[in-house]
Amino acid sequence: MEVELSNLSKKFGDVVGVEALDLDIHDGEFVAFLGPSGCGKTTTLLMMAGIYRPTTGTIRFGDRIVNQLQPRDRNIGMVFQSYALYPHMTVFGNITYPLKLKKVPRQEQQRRVEAAAETMGIAHLLDRRPAQLSGGQQQRVALGRALVKEPDILLFDEPLSNLDARLRLTMRGEIRSLQKRLGITAIYVTHDQVEALTMADRIAVMNLGRLQAFATPDDLYERPPTKFIAGFVGNPPMNFLDIEFAQENGTLQLRSESLELGLPPEFAAAAAAADGAVTFGIRPEDIILDDNGPVSGEVFVVEPLGRDDLLDIIVGTEHFLLLADPKRKSRAGDRVRLSFDMTRAHFFDPRSELALSWK
Amino acid sequence: MAAAGALTNINTDSMSGRLLLALRNGLLAALAMALLAFVFHSLLRPVIGSALVEETLTITLSRLFLVLLPIAAYLAAGTAVRNMEERHKALILALVAVSAVYALVVGAQAFLGAGPFAPRPSLQFSARQTDEGILVEALEAGGAAEQAGLQPGDIVTAIRRDQVTLTELNRRVGLAEDDDPFRLRYIRNGEQDQLTVRAVLQSGVDYSAIVTGLVIALVIAALSIYWPGRTLPYILLAVSLLPMVVGYLWLIIATFSYRTRGILPLDGQGNIGGLTIENWGFLVGKDIAGLEFSIWQVTLNSFLLAVMMTAVVLLVSSMAGYALSRMSFAGRKFFLSFTLILHGFPAVTLLIPIFFILLNLGNLPLIGDLIGFNTLGGITLVMVAFDLPLGIWLMKGFFDHIPWDMERSALIDGASRWRVYREIVLPQIRPGLLALGIFAFIGGWNAFLIPQTYSIGAGTVNLPVFLNELIDETAPVDWNQVAAVGLFQLIPIFIFFVFAQEYLLNIYAGGTKGSS
Amino acid sequence: MQANLTAYGFMAPAGLLVLLFFFLPVLIVLYLSLTNLASANFTSNLAEMEFIGLRNFQTLLNDQFAKKIFFNTIFYVMSTLALFNVTAALIVSLLTAHINRRAGFVFRALWILPRITTSTVYILIWRRMMAEAPFGIINQVNTALGWPTWNYGAENPWVFVILVNGFIGISFGMIIFTSAIESIPADLMNASLVDGSTYLQRIRHVTLPLLRWPLLFVVTYQSLSLLTSFEQILLLTDGGPGLYRTEVWALTAFHRALSNYFGNTQWGYGSAFAVVLVIIGVILAVVYMRVFRFDELVAEPRIEVL
Ligand SMILES: Nc1ncnc2c1ncn2[C@@H]1O[C@H](COP(=O)(O)OP(=O)(O)OP(=O)(O)O)[C@@H](O)[C@H]1O
Ligand SMILES: [Mg+2]
Repeated sequence: MEVELSNLSKKFGDVVGVEALDLDIHDGEFVAFLGPSGCGKTTTLLMMAGIYRPTTGTIRFGDRIVNQLQPRDRNIGMVFQSYALYPHMTVFGNITYPLKLKKVPRQEQQRRVEAAAETMGIAHLLDRRPAQLSGGQQQRVALGRALVKEPDILLFDEPLSNLDARLRLTMRGEIRSLQKRLGITAIYVTHDQVEALTMADRIAVMNLGRLQAFATPDDLYERPPTKFIAGFVGNPPMNFLDIEFAQENGTLQLRSESLELGLPPEFAAAAAAADGAVTFGIRPEDIILDDNGPVSGEVFVVEPLGRDDLLDIIVGTEHFLLLADPKRKSRAGDRVRLSFDMTRAHFFDPRSELALSWK
Repeated sequence: MAAAGALTNINTDSMSGRLLLALRNGLLAALAMALLAFVFHSLLRPVIGSALVEETLTITLSRLFLVLLPIAAYLAAGTAVRNMEERHKALILALVAVSAVYALVVGAQAFLGAGPFAPRPSLQFSARQTDEGILVEALEAGGAAEQAGLQPGDIVTAIRRDQVTLTELNRRVGLAEDDDPFRLRYIRNGEQDQLTVRAVLQSGVDYSAIVTGLVIALVIAALSIYWPGRTLPYILLAVSLLPMVVGYLWLIIATFSYRTRGILPLDGQGNIGGLTIENWGFLVGKDIAGLEFSIWQVTLNSFLLAVMMTAVVLLVSSMAGYALSRMSFAGRKFFLSFTLILHGFPAVTLLIPIFFILLNLGNLPLIGDLIGFNTLGGITLVMVAFDLPLGIWLMKGFFDHIPWDMERSALIDGASRWRVYREIVLPQIRPGLLALGIFAFIGGWNAFLIPQTYSIGAGTVNLPVFLNELIDETAPVDWNQVAAVGLFQLIPIFIFFVFAQEYLLNIYAGGTKGSS
Repeated sequence: MQANLTAYGFMAPAGLLVLLFFFLPVLIVLYLSLTNLASANFTSNLAEMEFIGLRNFQTLLNDQFAKKIFFNTIFYVMSTLALFNVTAALIVSLLTAHINRRAGFVFRALWILPRITTSTVYILIWRRMMAEAPFGIINQVNTALGWPTWNYGAENPWVFVILVNGFIGISFGMIIFTSAIESIPADLMNASLVDGSTYLQRIRHVTLPLLRWPLLFVVTYQSLSLLTSFEQILLLTDGGPGLYRTEVWALTAFHRALSNYFGNTQWGYGSAFAVVLVIIGVILAVVYMRVFRFDELVAEPRIEVL
């Protein structure tokens, strides 16, 4: 089922929940909503579910405008962060509940619940009550309940954030493969970017109620359209630095108080578009410790992350984060030399925060 | 100022300092009690009296404070040194301090001519108890007894028709006022006769009372040192509950007796004993004198009222509470504040106009016979309405605690709001329903004022109204019969009391905290 | 729109009952107080009643008995409140809060008994308590101790009216105070224990200051209850003995309009008495809501459909 949101807004009195959201979601697509807490992800989802009434705008499922439809007429399934299982019903009761409401015949109910339980691996739990289940099991029951009515659209609101890290990893894979197998359009709210990047076909990044970008994970990572996205997507986050462009001896240069670097010619367009100060961004993995590098700095903090060491390095007055091989045994106070992979540099207009190199 | 400073800055390190502290506390306590008695007797009483209200309460209170004055003083003096390391030293200090306070109290009484120094009524003869009666031994010359014609050797047997012993005679004389007549029966030379002696007030000091007082004071001092402090709250609480406990005890004893005197059952001869289960005969069809209702009809009315009220209160308040807690609609804010205002509003003030509402409801076609004046339905509706503000508020509080996601989930699963309410939300507020249900049931079962006001005749009489009619009868009331019906009525209440105290404690504060 | 309809469906039964038994009665009692309706010209049809303006209130102002009843009421409310509903309730909750938890709970539960006992049985018990010798329980104690016996019903009716209502009234304040005391952070108590303060000092400096709002709440709420409730007095003394000795305002309204005590039931005049209480009730109820900020508990719902 295709989903189209156009000019969708939601205000709670003076508080803006969502502002002028436009989004086109393809049939069978897995879309993640990514954004910091309070940015309006849940609000958008609840408008799609029919729980909140949009202040303006339309929601279209397939070729029907559903604004006026009650939740029960939208044929969606939803999984909540808190699972929202009905504590006074057994697992079986929970999963059958949507079917009972749809007046599906008894036999059919039985069959479908058993099938859903089988898929979710909870067939042995059907007689228990939610309070007697672990968090992971409750999550599977919630998923089973959402799936059993064969919805056109699946909505997930941070479904994995109450699970431990290992379980989260397996559930991620399961949800993803289930969705692909059933071909149901899925919208998945999360503020965990790794989750969004690994699961989604496309990611809608939101901030302060507005859509910042809607693109594939690769696009978002490689060509972030705004400084917010550049900083939000990627861990550890991108380094930012205020610089100016300069021409010296016919080559393009980047200049700040503590740093001067040559730039490849493909940034000429960006330099031309810039007007004075510019924000330069570079990801930690694009700065390399290199004894012959052109820039010298001092290690300020070393934070071991396991597979890598995260180094905070001072160059002049600027701090840069980068990743280093733990075998180097870096220590605070070490003098190091760096080289920057300037082909992967990003430039943003400091006022509009839009990317200068691509649109 | 200096004196006040000396009083507040007592150095309690030395023995004399502690003694001073004990004395000070004792005196302050005595002063406080005297002040209270004075306020009630001499300040409040005239004010109340001039406002046309009678003064018995203030007089009673001022007397109470006077009676408690010495006790409070001894206790204050004693407890002031209670916390000392060495108990025996504390005891000595307390005894000294209390004796000093006692001396002051007695001194004050001597000064005021009160207590043991007050003139006491007397018949002015001395006597001793013998097997036949009170043997008169000596008469005061010119005294009341001599003037009345009593002679040594006479044997006094009774005052009017009441047989008396010497103790009883002394007690009665002690209570007499000046010139009160005592009609004594006596035997002189084997012959019965009677004469009247008039009591006179005789001045003099009652030394035995002074000694007894001192002993009591010293005992209190000792107790205030050695008494385990932790038991004090228990004793106070138990004593304050005593009237209730004794009252219920009487109720139970009375139902199994022919008649009672105080809380003691009496048989036909006036001796303790004579238990019976006859009062409970009404349970097996024995008529209750003078009343035409069948007890079972009355009980059924009570039960119906309670059950209907419980059902309707639960249904109506949970519906409204749900809407106010969980739904957005025009006027919601208004309804909420309105409910709150009603919650504080005293509904009983509306009994008069509701009478007219019921009369007019009775004129409605079809349903008029069910909910009008003098119908169980009408009574139920009024009682439900009076409980609604509390019920709605309480229910709303319980609904407020249900996670929103659960309800959203049910809506998405395809439920209507009615089904969400019935199948998802209600089952989760069972404790709230139980609490409100018990409250409503007890309210309906105990209903008196509203059934009494809005009903006449057997169709609507419930147990409390029935009991009231038993008591209000013009014929002599059979208290033991009434007690049995009363205890019968209390059975469900006792059951709830035993099994649902926690709910009761919470809800009888008016739901003011049940909700948050 | 449909959401509104569903919600109104849920509200309808409660709304109807409130309309019938709160809203309309307030209007009707105001109207009745302006008529001369009595048993002689009785009608249940509001349109047929005879309108006499404020004459009932004039009569009331000049009524000598009304003056006595007015002062009786003030005396009754203030004494019961001061002695029982506040002071005794506070003492009971302080005592029960500082003893063994379970025992404290049992004592508090016992104090609920007067409230859940049917008024007729409760009063029956008290009547036997105060009955004359040799039947009365108190007089039996008096006799045993060698003290004089009394006819309490005739001589001390107020003492018992106040006792009877006070014993019921204790539980309300007791529960409110207890929950306030129990919500005092243990840290605060421990801190003052470390300071080495005594039991009484702790009550004086830690507990009582924190009880200010509960105290205010109990005082205001209970004074309105006492002002308007009369069931126990009706059963115990019925305002007597003699003329209006223990009659209070709310009872007068009842006597005049609903109980054929003197044969002539005066609906109009009785309503004039009731109107005074209704007005006080409405004003105080609004004030409570504002003062105790119940309106702040009103949050917006988080489902907007249906
Ligand atoms: N029912 C409501 N009433 C008033 N304000 C609301 C309501 N629901 C959400 N908001 C506000 O709207 C904004 C968006 O909230 P929303 O729940 O959509 O955030 P979110 O992106 O889901 O955040 P999180 O990651 O913390 O779940 C927030 O500022 C929130 O306070
Ligand atoms: Mg959210």
